[in-house]
Amino acid sequence: MIEVSGLNKAYGPRAALRDVSFTVARGEIVAFLGPNGAGKTTTMRILTGFLSADAGDVKVAGFDVFDEPRAVRERVGYLPETPPLYPELSVGVYLDFCAELRGMGKAERSRRVGETMERVGLAGWERRLLGSLSKGYRQRVGLAQALVHDPPVLILDEPTSGLDPAQVAGIRDLVVSLAGDHTVILSTHILSEVEALCPRAVVITNGRIVADGSLEELRARAPGGAWTYVEVQGIEGRQLGGLPGVQVVEPLGTVDGWECWRVRAGADPREGLAALAAGGAFRLRALERRLPSLEEAFIGVVGREGTAA
Amino acid sequence: MRGILTIWKKELRVYAVNPTAYAFLAVFLFLSGLFFFLGITLTGEASLRVLASNLAIAELFILPMLTMRHFAEERRQGTLEMLLTSPLSPFSLVIGKWLASLTLCALMFLGTAILPLILAHYGDPDWGVVATTYLGLLLVAGAFCAAGLFSSSLLDDQLAAGLLGIVMLLPFWLVSRAEALVGDELAERVSAFGVLNHLEGFGRGIVDSADVTYFAALTFCFLFLTFRALESRRWR
Amino acid sequence: MAMSQRKRRFAAGGNAILVSALVVVAACVAYLIADLNRVRVDLSADQGSVLLSDTRTKLAMLDRAGSPVMITAFSGQRGKKESYFKDRALLDLVEELDFASQVVEVHFVDLDKDRLTAEKLGVTDYSTVVVQRGEARVDIKDRELFRRVGSGAERRLDFLGEQAVARAFAQLTADNHRVVYTLVGHGELDPQTQDLGGLSEVAAVLEQDDYELKRLDFVRQTDQPVPRVPDDAAALAILRPKVPIPPLEEDLILAYLAGGGSVLIAVDPGTPVPSLLGRLGVVIPSGRVLDKLLVFPYPDRPVPRYKGHRITKDLADDSMVTVVSSAAPVQPSVPAREGIRSSIVLETSRDGWIDRGGEVKNGQGLFEPEIDGAGPASMAIALEVSSDSGLVKKGTARVLVSGDADLFTNGLLTEGPGNSSFVLNSFRWLVGDDDRISVVGKPASVRRLAISAEDIDQIRWLALGLGPILVLLLGAGVWAARRGR
Repeated sequence: MIEVSGLNKAYGPRAALRDVSFTVARGEIVAFLGPNGAGKTTTMRILTGFLSADAGDVKVAGFDVFDEPRAVRERVGYLPETPPLYPELSVGVYLDFCAELRGMGKAERSRRVGETMERVGLAGWERRLLGSLSKGYRQRVGLAQALVHDPPVLILDEPTSGLDPAQVAGIRDLVVSLAGDHTVILSTHILSEVEALCPRAVVITNGRIVADGSLEELRARAPGGAWTYVEVQGIEGRQLGGLPGVQVVEPLGTVDGWECWRVRAGADPREGLAALAAGGAFRLRALERRLPSLEEAFIGVVGREGTAA
Repeated sequence: MRGILTIWKKELRVYAVNPTAYAFLAVFLFLSGLFFFLGITLTGEASLRVLASNLAIAELFILPMLTMRHFAEERRQGTLEMLLTSPLSPFSLVIGKWLASLTLCALMFLGTAILPLILAHYGDPDWGVVATTYLGLLLVAGAFCAAGLFSSSLLDDQLAAGLLGIVMLLPFWLVSRAEALVGDELAERVSAFGVLNHLEGFGRGIVDSADVTYFAALTFCFLFLTFRALESRRWR
Repeated sequence: MAMSQRKRRFAAGGNAILVSALVVVAACVAYLIADLNRVRVDLSADQGSVLLSDTRTKLAMLDRAGSPVMITAFSGQRGKKESYFKDRALLDLVEELDFASQVVEVHFVDLDKDRLTAEKLGVTDYSTVVVQRGEARVDIKDRELFRRVGSGAERRLDFLGEQAVARAFAQLTADNHRVVYTLVGHGELDPQTQDLGGLSEVAAVLEQDDYELKRLDFVRQTDQPVPRVPDDAAALAILRPKVPIPPLEEDLILAYLAGGGSVLIAVDPGTPVPSLLGRLGVVIPSGRVLDKLLVFPYPDRPVPRYKGHRITKDLADDSMVTVVSSAAPVQPSVPAREGIRSSIVLETSRDGWIDRGGEVKNGQGLFEPEIDGAGPASMAIALEVSSDSGLVKKGTARVLVSGDADLFTNGLLTEGPGNSSFVLNSFRWLVGDDDRISVVGKPASVRRLAISAEDIDQIRWLALGLGPILVLLLGAGVWAARRGR
């Protein structure tokens, strides 16, 4: 549904995007992950045709953003970083205007506006002025604006920023309910959001994609990969290092007389360790492989890239 | 076409609840009343001529202020991003906004309709001249609104956009006076590009193709540049 | 990907800038083209911007001659209430003249500021217009430009500047001074009489074309050895003699005609008919001309129709009506005299007739076939008499015979929109200035307001207060309605 290849963009001398490429399949929900200023918003603006790239190709729903911007715009719903609202207008009038922008007839407009307001939890708020809405409701109106024409592609720039936990949950439920019919790209710097919503994340920092994959894959790519935790007796901890395949051994302390160690090996060392223990080489109480948390993975990925740059 | 109508409706809705618009409308009506009053007490004539030339200058200052918010404010609110990423063409956006501003101007002029009625009560005005005077003022308004939109499309700051609009239009007023101030051949030629020179005929009941073309060309240039300025985001 | 993104953007951007520049240039060119091919419509009721056809004719003559004409108009006295009008009227006029002609160059000078120009031209009076062509120069004074008319609330200032400038043009083109003699001594209309029945205003109109009206009294003629029509006569006008002209004097007139002279003969119903008309093949039957269509509220003023003669052609084109008063029928004799070409100038409609008394209904005569003559009845005819007639020895003599003498008096001059043009054109045709025949209009006046001192306060409040207050109230209403939403 979305194909991005070799995207480059510079603001003056400062490079904002460097060789960004990724594709999103139909019905997929993808998170754009990265610290502030990483290039998420720039990428999304290029996807919607609001900005142009210095180099690279962007195709949305099979149309080139630069050559056929109109065809792309018809198929995209876009929620910018700040919800685009006219403070003078009421919710109903505003959404009706947005629907009219999408070329809907009068009857269709009132139906779609009603449906969308229901969907984002704005029912009964038609006459409220946008200028008097709280942050959460503004966000909902912004979302309604992106959804009102039921676009196949949704691009949401930080849809949950500044919301309280209950509101965040509401928006998350909404986004999840969109999956399948809609292709969704959302940007965030909140990791738990990704865990809650997206099977896939694209990590971007300093304008470069540093990771792209399922959450599992991402975690596995944390610095050094996964650790294996062991609690042992009857073996000098350091000797664990001598076992086959084990690269790093770190002591974590003693619990109830059991020594806790963290082991990293090239391949999964659990089977080997269990076999050794079964052979009586030492006593083993716990053997657990732990993937790194997303935060660890994120900080690892971003931090490493950050220093490299 | 539908996009134009959509934008036009929205802009009028925003104007209708905009306190600034009411303030400028009141100022405009007050100024026109003042010019009218001075005009008739000075000349005792049943005509709007004094009003027309002064009102054109008032338009020069008021209209950029009325149109300054169009793109500058949309950009600040982030709504420009929405409009430009919607299927609406920039062309419809520009024309819709321009027509909305022009409609507001027409309403302003409607508010001054009491002035010719006063003339009709105390004298016998030439209605043909009254009609062409308003036509001329509306043509001036069209050109000035277009200039205001253009300056608004260039700058992010509303007030700066308004001031730029005024600065952009000032030469069109000042060259009208060039002939009187300098008085040589060149000044005479240059003053042919002044707004007042082209408004003058309308104040006498004359609709001249050259005057109409002048305002049409001015309007068209500014609108076209506005359109280009908006579109430039695509390749800049 | 045929082109790199950068290249595509560059192409699009370069293209956009180029197109923008081209569009701006195209708009300028469109304006310049429109400026060179102006089409103007005057929607004002006064048609103040349209120059009189007379002025246009003279401008065309100036354009044909080619040498430049400079018009310098000086401003009125600052601070005087009338100066605004005077300046504006002059400014409008010179603008129009500038627009209408290629050779005319105009300047409007503030007499108080531009002392240099004033001194160069030796102008010391406000509201003066100087028209120069080569060495020649005509100064038009304030009192020739503006005329105060009426009194009290009806008082107004008429602007006669265009006629004055047109007159100046006439004086500045070739020396075209012509003398028209009017015969006196038999109770004729007199150029020096200023009342409604006089010719003083007519003389002023003729002055526009530099025609001078002089009296000719054969009896008291002292500057000639024997009585005769003077050599400098461009035309001779015989306007409603009250007693018959003696045969001796008629012979003098015929002698003048024989030399290619031009004669205007005007009679009224019931006044003596000069017998020389019979020799020219003109019959004036008894009775007066009436028509179903009359000028309201007069019972004896038929609305004449133009018959395509050169004199009335422009009037017919502009559909400007000439008003006559009680008129005698004027007919060419049947059969036509050899060598005399007669053509009808003014005529009634088909419904007109020659009334010879009889029944009167509602103060209006009725057509009674047994005594009245059937219409259409002609009221003025023009004759061109060639040498074949035996009356003229060289060239062609022009004769205009009118059944209504009042047509040429002060009284009717401003009665109908076409009257002054008709009079002027008649003389132009008679003296052979056919190319000057055109239409002169009425003076442009100013639409005044009648405002009393008490009204002023009311107007001030209506004009300055009402609109803004209503708008502010409306704004406050909208604000209140939206509060708390």
